[in-house]
Amino acid sequence: MNNFQRDCCELLAERFRNGKLDRRGFLTGLVALGAATVAAPGARAAGQELVVVNWGGDAIDAYSAAFAEAYEAATGNKLKIDGSGPLEGSMKTQFESNSVRWDVCDAEPYSAIRLGREGMMEKIDYSIVDRSKIEPGFDGEFYVPSYFYSNVITYDAARFGDDAPSTWGDFWNMEKYPGKRTLYKWMTGVLEAALLADGVAPAELYPLDVDRALAKIEVLKPHIVSFWSSGAESQQLLRDGEASMGLLWHTRANLTKQDTEGEVDWTFDQGLVSPSGWTVIKGNPAGLKAAMEFIALAQNPDNQVTLLNELGNGPANPAAHALVSEEMKPVDASSKENLERQIVLQAEWYADHYGTALDKYLALVSS
Amino acid sequence: MAARLNIHTIAMWLLPALFLAVYLAPLLGVFGWSVSRPEPGAENYVRMLTDADALNIMLRTARVCILVTGISVLLAYLMAYHWVFGSPARKLFMELCIFIPFWISVLIRAFGWVVILRNKGILNETLLSIGAITEPLTLVRTELSVILGMVHFLVPFAVFPIASVMRQIDSRVLLASRGMGANPAFTFWNVFLPLTIPGVLASVIIVFVFALGFFITPAILGGGKIVMIAEYIYIQMFQTSNWGFGAALSIGVLAVVAAMAGLLFRVIRPERLVK
Repeated sequence: MNNFQRDCCELLAERFRNGKLDRRGFLTGLVALGAATVAAPGARAAGQELVVVNWGGDAIDAYSAAFAEAYEAATGNKLKIDGSGPLEGSMKTQFESNSVRWDVCDAEPYSAIRLGREGMMEKIDYSIVDRSKIEPGFDGEFYVPSYFYSNVITYDAARFGDDAPSTWGDFWNMEKYPGKRTLYKWMTGVLEAALLADGVAPAELYPLDVDRALAKIEVLKPHIVSFWSSGAESQQLLRDGEASMGLLWHTRANLTKQDTEGEVDWTFDQGLVSPSGWTVIKGNPAGLKAAMEFIALAQNPDNQVTLLNELGNGPANPAAHALVSEEMKPVDASSKENLERQIVLQAEWYADHYGTALDKYLALVSS
Repeated sequence: MAARLNIHTIAMWLLPALFLAVYLAPLLGVFGWSVSRPEPGAENYVRMLTDADALNIMLRTARVCILVTGISVLLAYLMAYHWVFGSPARKLFMELCIFIPFWISVLIRAFGWVVILRNKGILNETLLSIGAITEPLTLVRTELSVILGMVHFLVPFAVFPIASVMRQIDSRVLLASRGMGANPAFTFWNVFLPLTIPGVLASVIIVFVFALGFFITPAILGGGKIVMIAEYIYIQMFQTSNWGFGAALSIGVLAVVAAMAGLLFRVIRPERLVK
């Protein structure tokens, strides 16, 4: 479901292998992703184990080897990384079979809300997690933002650079901006993009009119070369010119811009931004307190800035924005300036409607 | 002697017990989900047979599987013929064509097709450079490329049962036909082909059942646009957590597979094929 986190781990590992990232940067990036941690506040019973689940991939072995020892030295506790990915179905399975293996999950906020309502997730303990270190308005009952990412308009600048597209209306405008398009297979952001293109005002997006959005997507469908399902695929489509425009994660959009030396460009204008969320399944093995302490630890602004520098993920802690370099400011998805240009995806709506809407969306996509 | 008998008895019972534990029990669990989630009743099955979106995906799956099966079996028939009756050199060539794909993972083969078929891929670049086309053809991320990828994977599986049956044909029957004045075409249609029908049917069933379970190839070569039943079930289980509906769909697929297997045992004797 949240392929974005998986994508981040893949990117970090790739940069590390290519020598674009030193070991220290690699490890710090993993810390910020919740893939590893170097220090934890407070002492707990020695020998305890904390399992953090993310979307793993290549990075798992490297950070397990590098950080297990350091974490143990700092806290007396073992740290274990599970890269199997907290899909909603997987979290539900663990809860229902009474065999919860994960202490902290980096999951979609709407999954946390939905499972939370069904009584499967712990409420966030704000006496341990610091509310002031969360972007205002994003302090969820069942999740805390880990970082922000955005779904942005990415385009062939060699073709459209003189009069660049900046709205989803432009994205749907085949006469002014000819060429194939690519959209995200797992829907998030796509319905909003379609409604904005159809003239719905940003403030009136929610609740989403799914049928209207799908009708708008259907219009574009003959021009869609692919509904991408991995970050690498979305990048390839733009880099090879198979698509002249796409809805991409801003991290991949920015990488494509660097790879093509600006022949592909992107904008935060009308970007559809969302946090990823730390969440805890009820009955987690290390206990609620240990899980909350880990989340509090992950709020450290330094780590969050590292993550921005290495991957482009926007800090969840507003204090981090002040530490961002001039060079990285245009990429910072959650800075005040960039947030104002974007529209926030509403996790609550997705919690209520994700399943039914996705069924309809996939039916359209595959018809 | 008594001890040997005991071991023998235990071994006899072990297999069915294992079958019950690892196969039947989970299967009953899945069936249980399909009639109990979200509420007890046959609601999931009703939805499966009435929901237009689900029906569309099932229809697409059926269409792709039928096309893939038809093409695979036709190609396999030709390959099997050359493999069984060809010259030694041709036999060797056929063996390479059949066995080498077996050693390459399905994932690699799917990406291989992307490399060949994409806009800046080998095929388009070649056609452009010789001037056969002026604009790259859209080859990948279509139903066509999914079918191509699936056929590529499944042809070898279709070859074996056909070749096995062809090997068992008594060549004297064919000689007799020729001896009585039939021309080669008549002999093929009226003597050879009917004798190979059991192998063809076995191929059809094997390939169709395999095709039904395809997940990776359509996902990679379909550009997200070719959602088939296996992926749809995965989505119900992991993305939208509709376990009841996902379970009902699984049981539906299982029923189709079981019916095909039943047919296989009815119209042909499978043990003949592995002789």
